[in-house]
Amino acid sequence: MTAAGPAVRLTGATRRFGDRTAVDAVDLTIHQGERVALLGPSGAGKSTLLALLNASLRPTSGTVEVLGADLATLTGPALRVVQRRVGTIGQRLDLVDQVRVLHNVNAGRLGRWSTGRSLLALALPRPDPVVVSALEAVGLGWAVHERTERLSGGERQRVAIARLLVQDPELVLADEPVSSLDPSRASEVLGLLRAATPDGTLVVSLHQPELARRHCTRAIGLQQGRVVLDRPADELDDALLAELYALT
Amino acid sequence: MSLDTRPADRPASTRAATERPRVTARRVALRRLVGTGLVALVVGWSLVRSLSTDGALVNTGGLRLLGRLLAAVGDPATSPDFLRIVLDAALTTVVYAALGTAGALVIGVAGALVLSDATWRHPPGRVVGAIRLVLRGMLVGVRAIHELIWALLFVSVLGLDPLVAVLAIAVPFGAQTAKVFAEILDAAPRHPVSAMRASGARSAAALAYGLVPAAIPLLLSYAFYRFECAIRSAVVLGVVGVGGLGQEMVLSLQSRNWDEVWTLVAAVVVLSGVVDVWSSKVRGDLAVVSCSDWSGGSTGTPRGNRSSWARWSAVFAAVGLVAAWFASGVSWAGLVSARTRELTVRLVDDLLPPALPPGGWSVLGGATLDTLAMAVLAMVVAVGVTLVVGPLATRVRPVGTDEGAARLTRAPRLVGRVGARGVLLVLRSVPPTVWAALALLVLFPGVLPGAVALGLYTGGILGRLVAEAWESMDTRPRDALRAAGVRSGLAALVAVLPPSSHQLVTYTLYRFEICVRDTAIVGVVGAAGLGRLFAENLSVFRFSAVTTLLLASFAVSAASEVLGRRIRRAISA
Ligand SMILES: Nc1ncnc2c1ncn2[C@@H]1O[C@H](COP(=O)(O)OP(=O)(O)OP(=O)(O)O)[C@@H](O)[C@H]1O
Ligand SMILES: [Mg+2]
Repeated sequence: MTAAGPAVRLTGATRRFGDRTAVDAVDLTIHQGERVALLGPSGAGKSTLLALLNASLRPTSGTVEVLGADLATLTGPALRVVQRRVGTIGQRLDLVDQVRVLHNVNAGRLGRWSTGRSLLALALPRPDPVVVSALEAVGLGWAVHERTERLSGGERQRVAIARLLVQDPELVLADEPVSSLDPSRASEVLGLLRAATPDGTLVVSLHQPELARRHCTRAIGLQQGRVVLDRPADELDDALLAELYALT
Repeated sequence: MSLDTRPADRPASTRAATERPRVTARRVALRRLVGTGLVALVVGWSLVRSLSTDGALVNTGGLRLLGRLLAAVGDPATSPDFLRIVLDAALTTVVYAALGTAGALVIGVAGALVLSDATWRHPPGRVVGAIRLVLRGMLVGVRAIHELIWALLFVSVLGLDPLVAVLAIAVPFGAQTAKVFAEILDAAPRHPVSAMRASGARSAAALAYGLVPAAIPLLLSYAFYRFECAIRSAVVLGVVGVGGLGQEMVLSLQSRNWDEVWTLVAAVVVLSGVVDVWSSKVRGDLAVVSCSDWSGGSTGTPRGNRSSWARWSAVFAAVGLVAAWFASGVSWAGLVSARTRELTVRLVDDLLPPALPPGGWSVLGGATLDTLAMAVLAMVVAVGVTLVVGPLATRVRPVGTDEGAARLTRAPRLVGRVGARGVLLVLRSVPPTVWAALALLVLFPGVLPGAVALGLYTGGILGRLVAEAWESMDTRPRDALRAAGVRSGLAALVAVLPPSSHQLVTYTLYRFEICVRDTAIVGVVGAAGLGRLFAENLSVFRFSAVTTLLLASFAVSAASEVLGRRIRRAISA
């Protein structure tokens, strides 16, 4: 782990799509070890903000510093070095349906593997202890060789978490990981996400205030790309949320 | 304050919807009338053009020869020596087709990596964009020139090297494959790859894990489809003199050994039939996609289950390729030898600058019009074949209620279907060069024999495409009508005729584009059009005219492709 210092620092970070501003001049610092719940109505810019943090999108203006590196100035191998320390679970899970579960889990290690090693692992699938223990940790020890498309929605989600576990990132980004789950499952998944980065940082977008209060230390509310709420998670109350999600 | 700007878009789209001209019955009828009138006009013009020659049309002397050929059908050549020659030639053809397909796949994969958007991390910048534009243009040009023309050009540099056949297949097929592979890659979901890249994966690894598994069934399926086409092309290329079944056929025809011709026809039909059946089984297992989809330009959907048949076929194909490589004796040495380099330089030098063929614009214009008329008439023949044979070749799914009746008619239907499919197979397996040679026995050289030859061949392909499309047609409307008490004939007429005629028209237009290109084949053996002019000028080494003819062929096929696509889109709208 690198020296202390913020895990994430945004200064004036702005991202536009055409004439639509998805993230609008956001100044934000997230310290290591913080668990941040990202709240806000649909279209508020939560997914865009998370995409800025793993450099799959670049800011139109402003800076995005992640784990001490300015993402806008990095390219190629230097960028990959930072990216492999950031683990993401996207809204669509980003699993490859046509391959065995094993390969989807190994995808978390591609950042550290050479191209040759990656291709070899794809051609000659051999479950090593890292993969097996990650799958066991999410309760899918039996599914190593299963085809991913055969799994249920909940199982697929846990495969994505196993992928995160083998990546062993310092910063975990999760985009609405529990939106399609029942409340007890949702809490279980958030627990697994916390376990994926025991002393790292977690940024998770959510719509459920009670889960934010239970699993997070800090709540950030977005509205039209701006930060309109930022306080400790246990201070979240219904009035604040009603205002955040208000259709005004 | 609105949460989202999306609703603001809505009025614009509703406006667009209402502004669209309403399709009225009268408009439809008018459109059909104008369409039919135009087709009649074009066909009439082509007929007039093909019939207006100075001399006679029919060579009565040739009729006797044709009679002898037909008489020999019951007595094909079966001497062991000749059979060994046939077997050898068949192997040569398979080897050329396999190596040509492999070459096309290499070109296709490389081209697709550049052309596809899915393989690039960021939207390509200006330099990459420019490279892609140039590459795309080159591929269109390469595709527009027929394999046979490529073979003739390669022969003038490499001599009668087996490499000629391999390259003549690999180059134009590779250009087509690159385009289709890029479309397949672009149709696969892209977010897994982006996610892997966002966690630091290198490009090659991210593509291998995220994109290739999703695309591989379709890529393989297309590769097998290409191999089917390559077998036919390899036979056609025989006429250049590089060996294989096509060459033996031309030799036997020229020396009028009719019994040998029949043996070779049987060999070609069996070979092409076996490959067709094998390949369509593999393709059926890999993906929900038909030949008609591939040739109509839409990509299918991969099947979920894994097929051991497909896997073993892939292994077999890989082993077969290595064997083919060693069996063929093809070597790259010819490609890089000093002599080749010198001849290439000289060829390029000779090709430029382009000049008109002797006779000038009027000859060039005449040949262009001949090419068009030939393609039109060939399509008339092909559609005729399809209308007669196609319905017989189509498996009609019986309606659930009258099982007994279906069983009663099953046996004769089966016989009819197998027979019809056999006819289509023979029509498309015998190369157009041979059909042309036969037509030229009876008809004097000109547009007509070329059109007949090309039409029979194209009919074999069109008939199969259309029958396949008819089979996969939705029969529920018909069944619903029948269930509602409408008499079965009427139900079929009302529910099946409109969509099936639509499919016929679409594939006819598509095949027309290919047919324009294929006129080169029958031209080379002496029918008429740009192909014949090309062969004449090439045989006297008038290369500057050859360049002009290449450009003219390119212009004609590009124009017909653009026009065809326009019309197809207008029809489907
Ligand atoms: N690739 C893109 N191209 C164009 N506009 C985009 C793109 N991605 C996001 N947007 C726009 O940016 C805005 C913010 O989108 P974003 O996906 O970040 O919202 P969100 O808060 O994640 O919403 P949800 O809760 O529905 O997932 C939206 O108006 C969206 O339409
Ligand atoms: Mg989102």
